[in-house]
Amino acid sequence: MPKRYRALVCCRAGMGSSMMLKIKCDQVIKENDLPIDTEHGNLDSLIGFDGDLVITMSDLTDELNADPRVPCAVGITNIVSKDEMLNKLSEWVKSQN
Amino acid sequence: MEYLIFINRLRFVKGCNYMLETLLKPEFILLDLEASSWEQAICKSYEPMVMDGIVTEEYVADVIQGVKTHGPYIVICPHVAIPHARPEFGALKPGIGVAILKEPVKFGSQDNDPVKYLFPLSSRDSTNHLQMLQELVELLSNKETMQSLSKVVSQQQVMEIVREKGELNA
Repeated sequence: MPKRYRALVCCRAGMGSSMMLKIKCDQVIKENDLPIDTEHGNLDSLIGFDGDLVITMSDLTDELNADPRVPCAVGITNIVSKDEMLNKLSEWVKSQN
Repeated sequence: MEYLIFINRLRFVKGCNYMLETLLKPEFILLDLEASSWEQAICKSYEPMVMDGIVTEEYVADVIQGVKTHGPYIVICPHVAIPHARPEFGALKPGIGVAILKEPVKFGSQDNDPVKYLFPLSSRDSTNHLQMLQELVELLSNKETMQSLSKVVSQQQVMEIVREKGELNA
């Protein structure tokens, strides 16, 4: 059984952009069979998060990568671009091997 | 009375009261909106929703504070912003609006500036509003829909685009 990774999709409020980001990420993950399972939350969800990856909007990436609770943050610039998501997520998966 | 409660529950189960076309009211659609800054664009886009008791002014202030603190993370794809804040700051009822700016304004987003379309949200619970957000993602992902949105001249036309899109998804 190949390893599956756990990703938290989050933004500040956990209400709008992060949920839309999760919807789109899940489509890309499913269509390309990526070994990632997503959960959804806001910045508070980082407390106690023990997964492998945080997926967020690019403007929050630096802030999250500086946060010691974040294992690794991948930032998405364009929420409707499946290509961007696929590139960034598969690159991250590759970097884990 | 019991009948009404039953009908309401039925609507809840179907999720149709959280559909984009149900939450978007014609008076929440602003066309040719003039704004000289991103702050003003956000404030004006929420004006009808504040008047209607969907969100409070404090909520709108938290939207702006969020961008000041964390950057323009509400600009989610080229030329599009979805203003939203933490629900406890005054998201009173679920809702969504559409504001199309006469002249696009810069939000400071490196990749997606300038912003022309704003979809101000009021969301208390993202799980309940999943359908609305899903429809919004699909609408934004569809080039033809966005192209028709760039040509609208009336609120009614925006409602029609949203309705058609909803039917496609259903």
